Amino acid sequence: MVSAFEFVPAIAVLPLVSFVVALTFGKWMPKKGALAGIFATAGSLLISIWTALTVAGFLGSETAYHEEIWTFATGIGTFDLHLGVFVDPLSSLMLLIVSLISLLVFVFSLGYMNDEDETGLPRYYASLSLFSFSMLAFVFADNILMAFMFFELVGLCSFLLIGFWFREDAPPSAAKKAFLVTRFGDFFFLIGVVGIFATFGTGLFATEAGFPAMAEQAITGEMPGPVSEFLSAVGMGAQQWFTILGLLVLGGVVGKSAQFPLHTWLPDAMEGPTPVSALIHAATMVAAGVYLVARMYGFYLLTPTTMAIIALIGGFTALFAATMGVVKQELKQVLAYSTISQYGYMMLALGSGGYVAAVFHLTTHAVFKALLFLGAGSVIIAMHHNENMWDMGGLKEKMPVTYWTFLSGSLALAGIVPFAGFWSKDEVLYEALIHGLGNPVLLVAWAMGLLAVFLTGFYTFRMVFLTFHGEPRSDTAEDPESVRWNVKLPLGILGVLAATIGFINMVPIKKLTGLKIDFLHKWLVGSETLNAEFLTGLEHYEPILKNVAGIEASYIAGSEITTLLLSAALSLGLALAGVGLAYRLYAVPEPVEHTKKLGGLRTLLMHNYYQDEYQVWLAEGVTLPLARVADTFDQGIIDGVVNGISSVSLFSGDRVRRIQTGVVSNYAALLTIGLALLLIAFGIVGGWF
Amino acid sequence: MIPLQTQSTLPDWAALAPTLLLGLTALALLLVDSIDPDDDSPGLLAGVATLGSVLAMVVTGWYLVAGTGMPRTGGAIELFNGQLVVDGMSLFFTFIFASVTALVSVASYDYLADRAHQAEYYALVLLAATGMTLMASANGLATAFVALELSSLPSYGLVAFLKNNRGSVEAGLKYFLIGAVSSSVLVYGISLVYATTGVMKLPAIATALGGGVAGQGTLGVLGVGILMVAGGFAFKTASVPFHFWAPEAYEGAPAPISGFLSSASKAAGFVLAFRVFVTAFPLEVVAGTLDWTLAFTVLALVTMTLGNFAAATQENVKRMLAYSSIGHAGYALIGIAIVTGTANQGYALGASMLHLFVYGFMNTGAFLFVALVEYWGVGRTFEDYNGLAKQAPVACFAMTIFLFSLAGLPIGGGALSKWALLSATASAATLSAYLLAAALIVNSALSLFYYSRVVKAMWIEEPAGDFEVSSYPTGLYAAVVGAAIVTFLLLPAFGVVSGTAFDAAAALF
Repeated sequence: MVSAFEFVPAIAVLPLVSFVVALTFGKWMPKKGALAGIFATAGSLLISIWTALTVAGFLGSETAYHEEIWTFATGIGTFDLHLGVFVDPLSSLMLLIVSLISLLVFVFSLGYMNDEDETGLPRYYASLSLFSFSMLAFVFADNILMAFMFFELVGLCSFLLIGFWFREDAPPSAAKKAFLVTRFGDFFFLIGVVGIFATFGTGLFATEAGFPAMAEQAITGEMPGPVSEFLSAVGMGAQQWFTILGLLVLGGVVGKSAQFPLHTWLPDAMEGPTPVSALIHAATMVAAGVYLVARMYGFYLLTPTTMAIIALIGGFTALFAATMGVVKQELKQVLAYSTISQYGYMMLALGSGGYVAAVFHLTTHAVFKALLFLGAGSVIIAMHHNENMWDMGGLKEKMPVTYWTFLSGSLALAGIVPFAGFWSKDEVLYEALIHGLGNPVLLVAWAMGLLAVFLTGFYTFRMVFLTFHGEPRSDTAEDPESVRWNVKLPLGILGVLAATIGFINMVPIKKLTGLKIDFLHKWLVGSETLNAEFLTGLEHYEPILKNVAGIEASYIAGSEITTLLLSAALSLGLALAGVGLAYRLYAVPEPVEHTKKLGGLRTLLMHNYYQDEYQVWLAEGVTLPLARVADTFDQGIIDGVVNGISSVSLFSGDRVRRIQTGVVSNYAALLTIGLALLLIAFGIVGGWF
Repeated sequence: MIPLQTQSTLPDWAALAPTLLLGLTALALLLVDSIDPDDDSPGLLAGVATLGSVLAMVVTGWYLVAGTGMPRTGGAIELFNGQLVVDGMSLFFTFIFASVTALVSVASYDYLADRAHQAEYYALVLLAATGMTLMASANGLATAFVALELSSLPSYGLVAFLKNNRGSVEAGLKYFLIGAVSSSVLVYGISLVYATTGVMKLPAIATALGGGVAGQGTLGVLGVGILMVAGGFAFKTASVPFHFWAPEAYEGAPAPISGFLSSASKAAGFVLAFRVFVTAFPLEVVAGTLDWTLAFTVLALVTMTLGNFAAATQENVKRMLAYSSIGHAGYALIGIAIVTGTANQGYALGASMLHLFVYGFMNTGAFLFVALVEYWGVGRTFEDYNGLAKQAPVACFAMTIFLFSLAGLPIGGGALSKWALLSATASAATLSAYLLAAALIVNSALSLFYYSRVVKAMWIEEPAGDFEVSSYPTGLYAAVVGAAIVTFLLLPAFGVVSGTAFDAAAALF
């Protein structure tokens, strides 16, 4: 029987084909290339499902797969560089998510782009296909260099798509900002990649030959030869050096997953078309950073410092971004800050040892945030591209499908039981809590994450009430444009999923009833081969978490159930409180801007804590003068030396030229003098006299 | 493959066939002239000259392939009681001379159109070429001197060939005067060497010196003699301080003759220097008296620097090429300057030979392009070349190949021959070798500046006047394009030539 694994490369190649098709023939195709993308991503989705079934063990015994596809640089006496495929539970889950959301976004784009008679559609669909290709290839990358390459490619696609409406002012500027800010992080990532190759001689994520395994050996067992050589060259201990490497790679993660302090690009990225925001800037590309940490989790577990930093960044970002989401007036801006905040949760989970929780939240978030963005897109179509929530209101009756699905997504985001977000966010906080009880740093991170729950509930429902409830506050809201099936279908699918996807890992129910329904947990624990051979299963991670990272679970009053209930009640209570506050303030026929009561704090929040300002200051106040100094140095000293050399050359050339007087007796004289000088010099040296 | 037994079937004197062919062609030209003294048939004259030189080239090429005079067929062939010798190196250089002569003959057909005394012109070119081939084969100091004069005397006449042109005549006279001074220096040096050793043949000199004839008292005499011999050769190679004739002779002479002198005549000076110094004054014997590699190092450094620096400020393309030719003499001197005990001597010398080989084509080609421009009457300065590529793209493309190859860009064989010189210095690994390498690099960089000025003028600048290229002379075009093709082909086919050159050079040690 043919194995699905052999077709895994096709998951990425299909969108690549559609990229070429859309780019070359898009102009002449019906729907300008959308159909190619839809068929390609549908194909990808089918193969992804097939792959997932294989990984689950339903179709044979081989449950993980690694193969090198193409070695593009063969090292002589050193490592090779190659592209390869690595499929395990984590990557197959991610393949499923990415191809599903891609497909839905392609369909949605029919309504958002084609029906609105946008121009440049082939370019749009080509970029979108290229993105799907890059993202899928990133997901199944078997080594960190390949991951880096596709990491950069998705960044490029993001740039192209944010700046899709390049004739307006804001999108190109936002695209540049996104590109530069993420590039800043990727710079560290690149150094990290080089460092990893230099240290371990490999960039493989999995198996005994992979770098996480070698690093683990270096710390817990016998130091592998090349590693010890390198360590003695840099003069550092293993853990110290691995921390540096981990932090370098983390630079790329922080940039891509829009974590503090490199989160500033994401809100601006909302200038791109809304389906793009849904796919790239909410569900998938932004997840690349988090996914990368999960991918090399075996490595991060070895350095407790990095773990703590990840947790702190995550917790802080979750809270920090949520506060800014509270005051935003534009629909997509609220969603953007909420995205940043939610990725903060995932980082918090990863940093505090909640691997399953992070992946779980990644999954549910992909679904409900894509849903919310697509819902927002539907509203934006209806509102003729006016995104200001204060001009909306009362859309509930006019667009019921959008309203109900959006509500489903909002409940999930706010974390209201039994919607998806409740289960995953609850697990994130629970893991952070139990691991934080013995570790003050994690506890601080947990506390910040917990506070953010309240804010999340508040801003989410502020958004819902302002948009859909009350009286229409503008003419467009009175008579919104209707949307077609191609908008409603993806919304419907995602709406149902947002309500139900949480059921894949209902840990609290399991703990209470003893029913074994934590499917995702079992999925990530993986098969025996996965843990023994590929070393990326949860069973492999758990001992390292405990022994090397020193993160252990402890419980309030010594009881797991008590802690669990307490945590769940706390987060649900806070979420409900947030929702309730939003209901009181905004679920009225004529809401007013209560945020004005915040006074100076509101100004601070509206200006995003002056993050942009300080980064602009960094660029203009620090980098630019430095660059000027460098430029002066280059122009004055370097060029000066070069120019000086050339003028000296020309001057001396001119002098030399004048030796040639044109008078033949001078020549004879100079010739004789030259010969005489030579004779004298060599005579003295040779001792002839 | 030509069967090796041809070697045994041909008599020894046949090894001189290229020389004889060139000499006989010169006589044939005089014969034609005496039958038809009015220069009515320039085509016939150019044809005979070209045929003779091409025949010589083909025969030389055949000998090179067959291995005449090389170790694999029994070693060097000595003739006339050892006064002449035919070996790989002499054949290699003969090939250069013959091919440059062929190019010059073809090009001169158009250049000399409607001028008097064409037969004399071709005859002098071929006589000079004969002298050069004899220089390549000379195995005794007396023979060397005679051969050198045989190549020099026709050259004086050729430079002054444009009798009604003041510059040409003046240049010829200066060339002659400086040549006379240099020849006297050379012959005085030879006499001093003879005074110490009592022999004239090169191997005999080495034997005599090795036997310790040069006692303490005569040490200075020998040293002065060797240095003056070197000076005499420096005149022929246009090396500082014996270079003064070169800029003016090259500028004043008819452009094909400039190409002929700066490529073939220069190479002839080098081959003589190589043979005399390596064979007669082996370093291990005379090092106590005169470390001539040091002398050549100094000469090479000064020559390449002075040549390139002076070229950088010229306004006149032909004069720029003249100075650049001096600079290239400096590069070629590197080979003999690093022939020390530690280096791979054959490799060093071979690198110089290769550079001269490539130079023979690219430099002759560049001068022939100047000849073409003179034929059109365009003008001589850089500005006059502005926009030339619009009217003569093929020729300008060829010129671009020559210039970039001269600068050492990998568009022609010049890049590889310079690289060979560099790697030879690297293998020598002495301080002076590194100094030479650094000077080579710096000067090549500088040379790119003035070579690209010509390229820029031709391709980028707008034409100054409304000059129209009236005709496209076949002979000049054929020569220019042919030289360009060879220059370019020497890039991929460098390995074919380099094997021969390294073998020939190695056989000398």
